Amino acid sequence: MLLTLIRREILDNLMTFRFAAASFIMLLLVVATTGVLIRDYERRLESYNTAVKKHHQEMMDTTTYSAVDLTIDRPPNPLSIFNVGLDKRLGNTIGVSHFFVPSLWDAGKHGADNPYLNIFASIDLVFIFQGILSLLALIFAYDTLAGERERGTLRLVLTHPVRHGQIIFAKYISGMICLLIPLLMCILLVLIMLTTSSSVFLSVDDFLRIGGVVFTSFVYLSLFFLIGMLISAVTRRTSTALMVAMFVWGFLVLVYPNLILTAVDTAPHPDTEPTAYNQIKQIWEEFDKDRLQYLKNDPVPGEEYDFDLSGDGYSFRGPTYDSSRLLHYYATGFEHKKLREESEPMMPHAQDYHRFFGTQITNTADRMWLVRKPALEALYTQPAKLEQMLLKFSPVGLYDAATEAWTGTDLNGLQDFFTASQRHHQSVMDYYHDNKVFESRLWIVGVEGEIDWNQLPQFSFQRSGIGVNAKRAFPELSLLMMINVVMFTIIFLIFVRSEV
Amino acid sequence: MILHITKRELYDNLNSLRFALTTILLLALMITNAIGFLREHPKRMQQYNESVNKSLTLMNSHADDSLYKLAQQGPGKLYKKPSPLSFCAEGGEHLLPNIIEGSSPFVYSSNLTGIWKLKYPNANVNLKDVGPDVPKVDWTFIIAFVMSLIALLFTFDSISGEREYGTLRLMLANSVPRHTILIGKFLGSLISVSIPFTLAVLTNLLMVSTARNVHLNIEAWERLGIIFFIGLLYTCFFLALGLLVSARVQRSSVSLVILLLIWVTFVIFMPSTLASIAGEFAPALPTEAKWIRHNERQDALWDKYGYILWSDEVDRKTLEAKSGFFKEDSEADEQLNQEYLTSKLAQVQHARSITRVSPATLLQHLIESFAGTGFERHLQFVENTKDYARQYRDFVIDIDKSDAESLHLIGVREGMTKKKILPSAVPKFEDTLNLSKDFDSSVMDILLLTMFVVVLLSGAYLAFVRVEV
Repeated sequence: MLLTLIRREILDNLMTFRFAAASFIMLLLVVATTGVLIRDYERRLESYNTAVKKHHQEMMDTTTYSAVDLTIDRPPNPLSIFNVGLDKRLGNTIGVSHFFVPSLWDAGKHGADNPYLNIFASIDLVFIFQGILSLLALIFAYDTLAGERERGTLRLVLTHPVRHGQIIFAKYISGMICLLIPLLMCILLVLIMLTTSSSVFLSVDDFLRIGGVVFTSFVYLSLFFLIGMLISAVTRRTSTALMVAMFVWGFLVLVYPNLILTAVDTAPHPDTEPTAYNQIKQIWEEFDKDRLQYLKNDPVPGEEYDFDLSGDGYSFRGPTYDSSRLLHYYATGFEHKKLREESEPMMPHAQDYHRFFGTQITNTADRMWLVRKPALEALYTQPAKLEQMLLKFSPVGLYDAATEAWTGTDLNGLQDFFTASQRHHQSVMDYYHDNKVFESRLWIVGVEGEIDWNQLPQFSFQRSGIGVNAKRAFPELSLLMMINVVMFTIIFLIFVRSEV
Repeated sequence: MILHITKRELYDNLNSLRFALTTILLLALMITNAIGFLREHPKRMQQYNESVNKSLTLMNSHADDSLYKLAQQGPGKLYKKPSPLSFCAEGGEHLLPNIIEGSSPFVYSSNLTGIWKLKYPNANVNLKDVGPDVPKVDWTFIIAFVMSLIALLFTFDSISGEREYGTLRLMLANSVPRHTILIGKFLGSLISVSIPFTLAVLTNLLMVSTARNVHLNIEAWERLGIIFFIGLLYTCFFLALGLLVSARVQRSSVSLVILLLIWVTFVIFMPSTLASIAGEFAPALPTEAKWIRHNERQDALWDKYGYILWSDEVDRKTLEAKSGFFKEDSEADEQLNQEYLTSKLAQVQHARSITRVSPATLLQHLIESFAGTGFERHLQFVENTKDYARQYRDFVIDIDKSDAESLHLIGVREGMTKKKILPSAVPKFEDTLNLSKDFDSSVMDILLLTMFVVVLLSGAYLAFVRVEV
């Protein structure tokens, strides 16, 4: 009996105009968007490759340790085609230096793209699914019960020995099958386009992640289908059901995210930034005092940071006073090819000083990080988390967060990269200390080729495994599934108790 | 007769569920908009005033010092004035720079400092904000997305629905011409959509205008009036579209599906997808090349003037060389900056003009230009600063010329007048908006939108005339 019901429903749905039109438009949009997104990914990958090459060359051309710019770059995530998340927006290049521990907020952007183009909204596949699939689900569902009741066929069906639950179940299954067809067709097309593109390489894990995105989309779809059925169960007339369904869609998908984020002020407390910045400043000033004290106590009086060293090259001193990043320091360094004769006697003092400086600066950077980390989180991460939490009151927010977690373009996924960069920073500092780099002559003077830069710890970054993605997507995904179950139960109860 | 049909439509709608839901939704959106604006705007204004004052104080201290200081240090940072109508259109303001620097002379060495030039900061890439990227609720959002959807929901069954119930046959049995019915239906739905919209707009404006720290002048009200009518025009577009599809299609559910698909395509996807496609056709000049060109040019300049610049002599020849070098250097630098800025802005402009295929973008551009926010406004700000820079330079030259004793060598202390200048005489930068200019530039867009509406209405008429009941 159940099978008969399902078959009838499927045939009913598949033959309709709405099914054809919706599938067609959806395929069209998905293909156009995927094309644009793949092109965009290619451009970002190209820009990444250029940046890596450029930064490597720059490192190779540097002749002293104190002047080197160890810059690491973040590769674009190929799965950002599904959900771009923060992948495109946040910084993708970061310098590793002994003055501070790198964090997400110190990253800059490489690439020649025109930042003015950011005024156009960028869309991704999840955005299309989010908008159109939910709309489709409601369009398929709004008349499932109300329509039959209106036409009187429901009464007819119920004269047979069929249980109420069976009818609901059959309608749900058949509706979902009909909705899955366009979804799977879209995914198939996207996968074909991705695999034929020469620049996108997907690993096995990536395919599993895409599987996760598809499963989440399915659950999301099912939720909207159930919302439609619920509306259909409680209304008497299809036109009312349709109207309510459209307003519900407009509210949940279109209006709620914008409305809630405009209404709630998530800005951090205005004192957070200055307080933390003052602390950072204090730490730096303490360091500076110790430094000056050291210089005063050493045998050569009156010198400053550059020890009056002169030669074929330069010394520099550049301040970074940035309260929004909570950084307060000035960088000093040398890049001399050869020293003048009269500067040579100063070298031992300069080297002694830099032995002291080396340990002090890494300690200071670590101490600053202890203050910066919680403060930066309070300043930027916590408001963002609050906003995300507010968005999760709509299924759209849950869906977006879950797919972001799958694709690894959420905040956690990006933090993985910056955690790796912090580990890299630590290993470079360890290398410096182990090899006595700070007190070496090469800190100040060196000619090309004298330092073998390849000896330095190399940076490598792997996106987290599929298990981690699944774990991060789990809360939102399970929430979505739970809402599904609750909705189904409610519909069942209403339908059983309703009069035909 | 039109009146009669309109009235019937109106009564029908006023009692319907959709009317109630629309009213609630629009009111909620408009109130949220006002709350958000009243929270943000005073902060923005305060920040603007503080920055401007700081910049002015610095300039006055330069003026107190000497004309040379003014010529060297320039007018300082120039700020974009926040629009009091930013609640109508946010316009991506947070992504556009709100400052252009007319300062920062290049220091070649401790006794060789160049003169100021205009420097354009890049668009803000918000690298620190890790929150979700959701646009704020502004009038543009409410009208472009919500009002259009509502307009479709009010009209998708206006003809097909009557056909389904059989009332259309009844109506046509009377001696009423078909166009009368169509116009009546159009007006009826327009009025019923306008009522909640007007109510919501009035609530919003009431909240905004009674707030203590927001001042709307006459011009602002004129602008608001224009924006309101543009919003209605845009709504007419979707009402006409709804009538057209409703007349062509037999069943209302099919009509709604078609309309929603059209809506999704034109309003949501077209703007961003077209923008990214169009952006590729007119790529901006790559930034890397800028530095190469900058360095090449500067090398040539050094070759031209050479060692004389390092001399500390104050004879006429050295001073002339220095002044000439500074002038050429800052002019060429400014030109290079401008060239790169123009190429970037041109790329955006290109993408913007192509996305005008979508009526939602058209509306967005119109509201932005009348609200004084967004990209067009930014272009105006850039123009304003250029004008001002010219004025400022002329002022320095004129003052210098009025002193017969001066050598008239701008950029070197010994070559310029030492007379005192009144700080109040120095031209100040005031970022301004001009309504008639905005109106001129957006006439095309308004015409385009009107044309869309007319075409769709005539399409609906043709479809309805040919329809068999």
